Amino acid sequence: MKKTAVFAAIAAAGLAVLGWAVGPDKAALAKKQGALNAEYVLAKDAKFYFVFDVEGKKLELRVRGMVLRTWPLQAMRFWGRPDFVGTVELSKKTTLKAPERIVIKPGESELIAPAPGTKPAAAGAAAADYDLEALELRDMPKRFSLDFDNGLHVTVKAKGSGSSGFLGSMKDAWRWYVRLPLGHLFGARRGQGQSELEIVFNDEKDAQSIYWHMFDGIKGIIL
Amino acid sequence: MMIKRLLIAAAALAYLGFLAVLGASYFIGLKQASSWPGPAREQAIADKDVAKVEKNVQQLEKKMGGLLPKGPYIVIDTAENRLLLKNGDQVVRTAVVSCGSGVVLEEPGGKKRSWVFDTPRGEFSVKSKITNPYWVKPDWAFVEEGEVIPKGLEDRIEAGTLGDYALGFGQGYFIHGTLYTRLLGRNVTHGCVRVGDEDLKYLFKAVPIGAKIYIY
Repeated sequence: MKKTAVFAAIAAAGLAVLGWAVGPDKAALAKKQGALNAEYVLAKDAKFYFVFDVEGKKLELRVRGMVLRTWPLQAMRFWGRPDFVGTVELSKKTTLKAPERIVIKPGESELIAPAPGTKPAAAGAAAADYDLEALELRDMPKRFSLDFDNGLHVTVKAKGSGSSGFLGSMKDAWRWYVRLPLGHLFGARRGQGQSELEIVFNDEKDAQSIYWHMFDGIKGIIL
Repeated sequence: MMIKRLLIAAAALAYLGFLAVLGASYFIGLKQASSWPGPAREQAIADKDVAKVEKNVQQLEKKMGGLLPKGPYIVIDTAENRLLLKNGDQVVRTAVVSCGSGVVLEEPGGKKRSWVFDTPRGEFSVKSKITNPYWVKPDWAFVEEGEVIPKGLEDRIEAGTLGDYALGFGQGYFIHGTLYTRLLGRNVTHGCVRVGDEDLKYLFKAVPIGAKIYIY
């Protein structure tokens, strides 16, 4: 009798564990199906798209289902409406000082980038040392924001590229801890609640290359 | 004295009111954020549908796999100036290249034409393979040098500047060689992709006409 009770208890516990284990698998399966469905729609087209895996803490640039580039997030924080997942489109890229193209008017500026046919100059300093008249990755901002068509606002920054000094820190803190909550409260009353994500990258080149590759109108999936 | 007390009381009330509103904001925000990252994301699957969903996922994965190019293809990162020759998921060769400078050239005088020296981004394919290519100098090459644009084609042809091989991918853009090997890794070109001699030779042999090129 005692043995039967013990077996029954073990069996019940086993079933409970099994049920608990099957639950998350079903959720993962549903998530995978949703993600694949959304991605297939984008991947059928030859255009580039991104996949932002919030839980996996990574942003990827893809084409035809192939991962071209992965940017792992160092940190992330969020405020506001949580219903920002799904297929989105980048509507605006904003930065304090956007990189500008160099305009060459013959006779007015010195030509630094040589045409294929011009004679090469003598070897000297390493190529990486040249300050070329060109728009390069190093000219891209390390801090900027991305606005998506579903109302999600993402601030992208490299570690250590935040506002500098005491006043800058105060400004950041005021924005995150006072302005955003209040804005969200009053916005939500008007049906305009906001979703704000701040993502931080370890390497400043990561933030810069996101600015380079994420062009206005690019579509993507947020998981 | 009374006015001073009233003012202090008003200030204290305003401060407490502000804290109350801020507290309410936090309460609402945190309540919403607790369901993050999305309340409707995990749609329930009934037990009877699990097998169906699994089959659907497998089919989708197969369809996604079918979108990948067949045979060798080229992937170019214009920001890092890196070229990958790939076959399936495998990287066959990596090369340091030079992509477009992003500079704008404006033509002086009446015509006022302008050119943007970007390497085009997107999906392309190898349209031509040329050994010992000649460079047919476009108008911008003369404008940039402050020279008169010639009328005859023979005045535009220049040999030996594009390296030993060139792979054309449309609209006058090529993957070709360079005399400026020390500038490989920097954005210096007028839109073409410059590759070092050894890498170019390898690419030329490995990539057939029609192979896909992804430039991002």
